[in-house]
Amino acid sequence: MSVSETSSASVEKPNLIRETIIYILMAAVAITTVGPFLIMLSVSLTQNIRFITFPIELIPTPMTLENFQTLFARTDALRWLFNSVYVAVISTLGGVITSSMAGYAFARGNFWGKNVIFMLFLGILIMPDTALIVPQFVVLSRLGLVNTYTALIGPWFASIFGTFLLRQAYLSIPRDYDDAATIDGANLWQNWWHVLMPQVVPTMATLAVLRFMGNWNSFFYPMIVTSKSDMRTLTVGLGTVARSGGDAGLDMAGAVLGFLPTLIVFVLMQRYIIRGISLSGVKG
Amino acid sequence: MAVAGSSQRASSQFLKRLRSSLPWYPFIIINALVFVLFNLVPWFSMFRYSVLKTDLLSTREFVGLDHFVRMLTDAKLHKAMLNTAWFTLMYIPLLVVASLGVAILVNRPLRGMKAFRAIYFLPNITSVAVLALIFRRFLSPRPDGPLNFLIGLVGIPPQKWLIDVYQAMPSIVGISLWEAFGYFMVIWLAGLQAIPNELYDAAKVDGADGWRLHRYVTIPLLRPTAAFIIVIATIGALQVFGSIFILTGGGPVNATTTVVYQIYNEAFNFGRFGYASALSILFFLIILIIALIQSRYLRFGDDVY
Repeated sequence: MSVSETSSASVEKPNLIRETIIYILMAAVAITTVGPFLIMLSVSLTQNIRFITFPIELIPTPMTLENFQTLFARTDALRWLFNSVYVAVISTLGGVITSSMAGYAFARGNFWGKNVIFMLFLGILIMPDTALIVPQFVVLSRLGLVNTYTALIGPWFASIFGTFLLRQAYLSIPRDYDDAATIDGANLWQNWWHVLMPQVVPTMATLAVLRFMGNWNSFFYPMIVTSKSDMRTLTVGLGTVARSGGDAGLDMAGAVLGFLPTLIVFVLMQRYIIRGISLSGVKG
Repeated sequence: MAVAGSSQRASSQFLKRLRSSLPWYPFIIINALVFVLFNLVPWFSMFRYSVLKTDLLSTREFVGLDHFVRMLTDAKLHKAMLNTAWFTLMYIPLLVVASLGVAILVNRPLRGMKAFRAIYFLPNITSVAVLALIFRRFLSPRPDGPLNFLIGLVGIPPQKWLIDVYQAMPSIVGISLWEAFGYFMVIWLAGLQAIPNELYDAAKVDGADGWRLHRYVTIPLLRPTAAFIIVIATIGALQVFGSIFILTGGGPVNATTTVVYQIYNEAFNFGRFGYASALSILFFLIILIIALIQSRYLRFGDDVY
């Protein structure tokens, strides 16, 4: 993004009226995106609020955490939160490490079946995941894996997109590094772990952030493979809260709980998210 | 195999190849296992179950191609296909215009621009459950509900939104737009920033200015970006599910039942896993064909430079 700051500079001449109009337009768009979140926060801290009605006081008096207490008391929200953190962390770590390993093998290895496997992986990339959800459920239920962490984490433990991404990153490293490492007596694992992987850490970080957000926000698949409340992830659990028709305060407390973790990751890791989109976007 | 010597040479070559290959397999073994268990096996089971009538519990009988014949007369499926098309046709043009408009707006070296871009991206990092929790309340049919109050300010009477047969789908489109425009803004920005400044300078030397600069430089050079955006946004739109599942449950009166929702319905509400598998095949083919047609006619090509 930083490269960009100047790109259209030469096209437009600075002009005070024009700039003011642009800022007003941008502020209007900003209000439509941030407004709902501010109201969500405000309502979640309001006492006894059944409906959101306008006009609304943005700073509730008195301010209370009652809605959050009710949420934790009436639903398994704490358990869902734990499940989401556990599943997202293991999925992300697993997916990034296996992508790094496989990416390395596809970039440097010369093994029997490499091209066939690579083409098979390409084939999966075009398969829309929603089309595969019913068959995935059928297979998992026959294996007795419904309502298990294995089912929730499994598909995330490898990433085809990540494998491609890291393969590209490894390919951009000169072979001289491998040669030098081999002369020093490094085997394939040492070459991967000590020599090449440190050079692709930014790509792995990008992948990690995308995977974490994707996993945390996923809904359809985790909903299908869990039927017991205590195995649900936060997103799936909150879906049931939304359908249950409680009062607005409770709903917004749930929304805040679901939103905060992603907001924190976004604020800390924004750079990597934007980079990830540009990588997947520009290269198609 | 006829001559002992050549077969020996072949086998020693094979051994050599095997020996150089073996150390690499551990690097891909986990990927391969995940792929087999969660993609390859389900992929085959999709075809196998498409010819079975089964609820996964007691019934299980072979029905041949009955499921595919049934698709021809399944009125609910046809309605779901129309709904999906309706959603996509509303969503894509609005998304393209909105995200490009915002991208052009923020593609300038002004103070605070990065903060604005980050703010526009916020809805995109939000899970569908959070979106649904918020918008179920915002789209309340009460006259003092947030959106009804706001449109009341400009004199529009209160609307029923999600519980109205005609407004439910446009409401879902609106929510989806709100969620997605920031993501596509980022992709447009990447495209805009890839246009070399010299091209604008050259066009200005040739006498182009204002709108004509965009008409003859920006738009043609954004074509690959536009093609990419339309294809991936369409694939995403055809798969819309979460917001509909939580907000409308496919209603009112099937007004928001999309193909994916119908597949879910058949499998998990009616226990028709065989028919749902057959529908999954159909759905996969539809997406594949649409993506292929789009890629062909929109041309990602590098020939624009």
